[in-house]
Amino acid sequence: MGAFQSSPGQPEYVDLKEKTGFSISQIRVLHTRFKLLGHNGETLKRDHFNSIPDLACNPIRSQIIEAFFDRRNFRQNGEGPVDEIHFEEFLMVMSHFKAPSPRMIEERESVRREKLRFIFNMHDTDDDGTITLEEYRHVIDELLSLTEDLGKDTAKDIADAAMREVASTSMAHMEPDEFFEGITFEHFLKVLFGGP
Amino acid sequence: MELFFNPFDNLVCILLGISLTVWFTLLLVFIIVPAIFGVSFGIRRLYMKTLLKLFEWATLRIERGAKENNHHLHKPYSNAIIAKEPTSFEEEIKEIRRSGSNKDLDSASEFEMSDIFYFTRRGVASIMDDEVTKRFSAEELESWNLLTRSNNNFHYISLRLTVLWGLGLVIRYSFLLPLRVTLAFTGVGLLVFLTCVIGLLPNGRLKNFLSEKVHLMCYRICVRALTAIITYHDSENKPKKGGICVANHTSPIDVIILASDGCYAMVGQIHGGLMGVIQRSMVKACPHIWFERSEVKDRHLVAKRLSDHLEVKTKLPILIFPEGTCINNTSVMMFKKGSFEIGGTVYPVAIKYDPRFGDAFWNSSKFGMVSYLLRMMSSWAIVCSVWYLPPMSREEDEDAVQFANRVKAAIARQGGLVDLLWDGGLKRGKVKETFKEEQQKLYSKMLVGTQEDRSRS
Repeated sequence: MGAFQSSPGQPEYVDLKEKTGFSISQIRVLHTRFKLLGHNGETLKRDHFNSIPDLACNPIRSQIIEAFFDRRNFRQNGEGPVDEIHFEEFLMVMSHFKAPSPRMIEERESVRREKLRFIFNMHDTDDDGTITLEEYRHVIDELLSLTEDLGKDTAKDIADAAMREVASTSMAHMEPDEFFEGITFEHFLKVLFGGP
Repeated sequence: MELFFNPFDNLVCILLGISLTVWFTLLLVFIIVPAIFGVSFGIRRLYMKTLLKLFEWATLRIERGAKENNHHLHKPYSNAIIAKEPTSFEEEIKEIRRSGSNKDLDSASEFEMSDIFYFTRRGVASIMDDEVTKRFSAEELESWNLLTRSNNNFHYISLRLTVLWGLGLVIRYSFLLPLRVTLAFTGVGLLVFLTCVIGLLPNGRLKNFLSEKVHLMCYRICVRALTAIITYHDSENKPKKGGICVANHTSPIDVIILASDGCYAMVGQIHGGLMGVIQRSMVKACPHIWFERSEVKDRHLVAKRLSDHLEVKTKLPILIFPEGTCINNTSVMMFKKGSFEIGGTVYPVAIKYDPRFGDAFWNSSKFGMVSYLLRMMSSWAIVCSVWYLPPMSREEDEDAVQFANRVKAAIARQGGLVDLLWDGGLKRGKVKETFKEEQQKLYSKMLVGTQEDRSRS
């Protein structure tokens, strides 16, 4: 044993490095942060995120926190929410925000798609693969505020205008008798980047 | 009966007796007597210099060893993960929109789906690292100071280093710790006893004079009990009678450090147990301001008692820690405005600990008082610098909050600490809903402002 602690499993870090693409020292820093947020526990719960003051100022804080507990973001093809996450899952979610390293063009495309998938998942709260109009309006409401600056009507107008734009972009690709269920991931990409 | 007192036992008894006598004489001559008169032999400074040289050697050794073995050294402050660009809110949103769609956008007028990127990025960045939560745990050191407790992934490097560390352990726990505990008991015991005695005297100049001397002496013994090596700067700005002394708060030891250089009237809540005994006996000798637990909630009562104390110009300066809780000595958090509303001259004091010798921060959620004190007494030493800043008073057009912030900025600047606006109470509580609304207001202003422009044209 001795008095010198060995670093917590160098082999574990190497494994995580392969999966997420972070470097060993970045993983170390994130692990320290994970332990600090979770008060040295094994897992993080939603409450632990609530103790960060900067995050509390963020209008879409609850969506961001939910994203950490959403199985779709763990890259394991799972679905549905969890109540607590381990360090590996924390790293997986964080890796969506990693700066892309200079790679080949195809890889860059897929990395980009993954990041956008993350944002899509944040909107789609009922896990059905489409963003309905309600879900979209919900996000917009969170971003805006209900103060005197912005009357309730103005907020509604802005939300409706955004909806219409989204609907028109996607409706252009549908048959006349198809019912508009919601925005799929492909539509989402088109709305963001215009294009054919 | 003869079986009990064989010659060997006799010898042991004699040796024990001699060593105890020697021990106490040394203690008296080298520590207690200088404490009484306020002089110093300089032993502690010599000790500090030796330790520094040792730590440098140890760090070099570790770095060399790490290179040889190709280990990664743990550098605590690498922020290579977040790419921070200090641009304004509007610019960033425009940037995101421009890089996304092919449309030609000049102003951030309508809501775009991509606006959400900005907030998401901000949110995750603050999960990764934010200014506040890291202030409530001990600071991480760049080098190692031969204490296991600050040992973050330092592997086994060499035999010499391990031997050194082992030696350090032996010295700290078997020599320094008992010495310090003895001193601590002596200091506290003398304080309680002598202040009670002085309390019997009638109020007058003799009583004040004696009480000052007694307080100083006992605090100096306590300072030596912690092997605290303190450097006082700018002593000409020391707080005078009838003023308020404010300082940043890192641990309960702050009180001992300040009170060993000058006499203050302390403010606080009456505790039970040993603390309560000390508090009650101290107040017999000179007027400190202790509150019952129930009185603490009543802000007006507190303010009244403090200002009454200030009225009497011959009373000692009041010592207050406006942060309200212990912070880890890398930053200064919001000062509560109560102490700045009562008037009087404010004498700010900045205290900065040198973390290389022992971390003085009291993480009250992790350690209780007793285990904290034991940790302090088994570190190498507590080295700190105290700066007395020039006195400040509230100006005509300033309100209490602005004055508090001005004082806080001065203390942070002098001590080399980060000046934060956040409240130290966040250690235990949550942020108010009003902050979230601020961000929303900002965003909606941006959208509405440009809507109006368009409807006008």
